[in-house]
Amino acid sequence: MNLLDSFTTAFALPFMGRALLVLIVLSIAAGLIGVFINLRGLEFLTDGLTHAVFPGLAAGFVFGGQGGVLIGALVAAAAATIVLTLMSNNKVTSDATTAIVLTAMFSIGVIIVSASPGRAGGLEQLLFGHLLTVTDSEALITAIVAAIALVLVVLTFRRQVFHAFDPEGSAAAGYRRVSTELVLNVAIALVIVAASNAVGNLLVLAVLIVPGALSRLVTTKLGALFVVAVGSALLASWIGLSLGFNISVVGGVDVPAGATVALSFVLLYSIALIVRVARKGLNA
Amino acid sequence: MSPRTRPIPIITDDALTITGGSFSYGDTPALTDVTISVKPGEAMALIGPNGSGKSTLLKGVLGLIPLVEGSMGLGTTAGIGYLPQTEHIDPEFPVTLKQVVMMGRYRKLGLFRFPGSADRAAVREAIASVGLGNVANKRFGSLSGGQQQRGFLARALAAQPSLLLLDEPFNGLDQPNRDALMQTLRQLKAAGVAIIVTTHDLELAREVCDTVLFVNGRQIAFGPKDEVLTLANLQEVFHEFQVEIDEHTVVVPGHEGH
Ligand SMILES: Nc1ncnc2c1ncn2[C@@H]1O[C@H](COP(=O)(O)OP(=O)(O)OP(=O)(O)O)[C@@H](O)[C@H]1O
Ligand SMILES: [Mg+2]
Repeated sequence: MNLLDSFTTAFALPFMGRALLVLIVLSIAAGLIGVFINLRGLEFLTDGLTHAVFPGLAAGFVFGGQGGVLIGALVAAAAATIVLTLMSNNKVTSDATTAIVLTAMFSIGVIIVSASPGRAGGLEQLLFGHLLTVTDSEALITAIVAAIALVLVVLTFRRQVFHAFDPEGSAAAGYRRVSTELVLNVAIALVIVAASNAVGNLLVLAVLIVPGALSRLVTTKLGALFVVAVGSALLASWIGLSLGFNISVVGGVDVPAGATVALSFVLLYSIALIVRVARKGLNA
Repeated sequence: MSPRTRPIPIITDDALTITGGSFSYGDTPALTDVTISVKPGEAMALIGPNGSGKSTLLKGVLGLIPLVEGSMGLGTTAGIGYLPQTEHIDPEFPVTLKQVVMMGRYRKLGLFRFPGSADRAAVREAIASVGLGNVANKRFGSLSGGQQQRGFLARALAAQPSLLLLDEPFNGLDQPNRDALMQTLRQLKAAGVAIIVTTHDLELAREVCDTVLFVNGRQIAFGPKDEVLTLANLQEVFHEFQVEIDEHTVVVPGHEGH
């Protein structure tokens, strides 16, 4: 199998098909949601949520095995979302406090997994995912969780745009501020949960933040932002998955495909950045 | 039944009725003793010095801050349009003026409907009425301050509300645009829209408004403009202030005046 095959016919293999399905659903959800993360400047909150979800992943994994991961993550995500949404609304804590608490959460997760015997390799799997070895049921559940996130954002699309642009105006128009924010935060958390299983907790951030940031580099049209974000996420997923397949299956080097996917996201972003800088340089 | 702890809305033909209303941000009310009614097709001028509770009243009507005493009733309204006094927006935000004005239609669109020809027509008319037709497709953040303010006014108009709340709409407008806004307000009144305008400009109050509400932390006076726009009331509201009446500048003597 040559490199070209990795980008094309390889997807006929069942495990590649599953991985692709997971990434397609994730790309659509994360692309749309990522634009709102960018417009609202929620990168820090998103980072915080990924950290906060980790001990849930870890505890779920230790006590319930692969099937427990999702449940643990969902519980942790629900708790963290509510706490972070209320905190950001009441401004009771500083960014520093939040960062400290979340780092602590992350450490707790690492300790939970490391301290449990018989779960060797678990830590790596939680951090970097196991894209090429997801089972049918895992793929299905991941897709469902991401799809729920997608539906939440699609149903509240207009008020999310309104709120991102002008929170006071949107409240005056009768949209409740807390509920708008809570819906988006829940959707972010669901994508994190879904993506943690596939690309791993450490790499989720790339999937959620890069497409939105990239689209801002490419266009200033509102509708186009969402198209570019989803499109670039799909493209990066395809490239990353193919590369991961080529390196680990064809090449026999044990590299998690989640890492090549995350790298592809960053690569596309870098290209967009260089093109933009070059264009600005030409115009100046 | 437990005793009423919260004021309940009253049903009324007026666009807005408040009886003995107080509005509060925290523990101490910012504005008290408000008893007013605004009828469809009527404009009320809301006048008072800085910090007297003008914006507070508008936010209270919108339900953004609570009514802690008294009662408030909204007529069978097609919704409330609101022009805030200040807006904090990201100048880089990727929306056009047209898209911002369409936000005024969002509540009417609900969850599933896409904007139709009626929505687009309302947006076009609103943009035209504030004289921004030539920049409709420009990025909102690239417009000047006065243009942005008129853009937000267009957003309030696009909602085709039956009650319109305008917080200092004339601030920062040049003379042609002041005249255009006056004209727009007259047309809205003729169409049966009830309007509340906060202003420091008494001349304007006399020209387009039917009633006047003076506030200074509490209601000082309310009624038809001819009865309420008196020197005695002005003195009570402003203590000491330069006011313009019929193009003459009058210094109203204050309690601790010069
Ligand atoms: N968000 C807030 N929280 C607490 N108090 C507030 C808040 N906004 C306004 N106030 C207080 O309420 C009072 C009335 O303020 P308001 O904004 O209604 O004044 P205003 O009449 O609109 O003044 P201006 O002419 O400057 O616009 C002031 O004492 C102000 O300090
Ligand atoms: Mg004010």
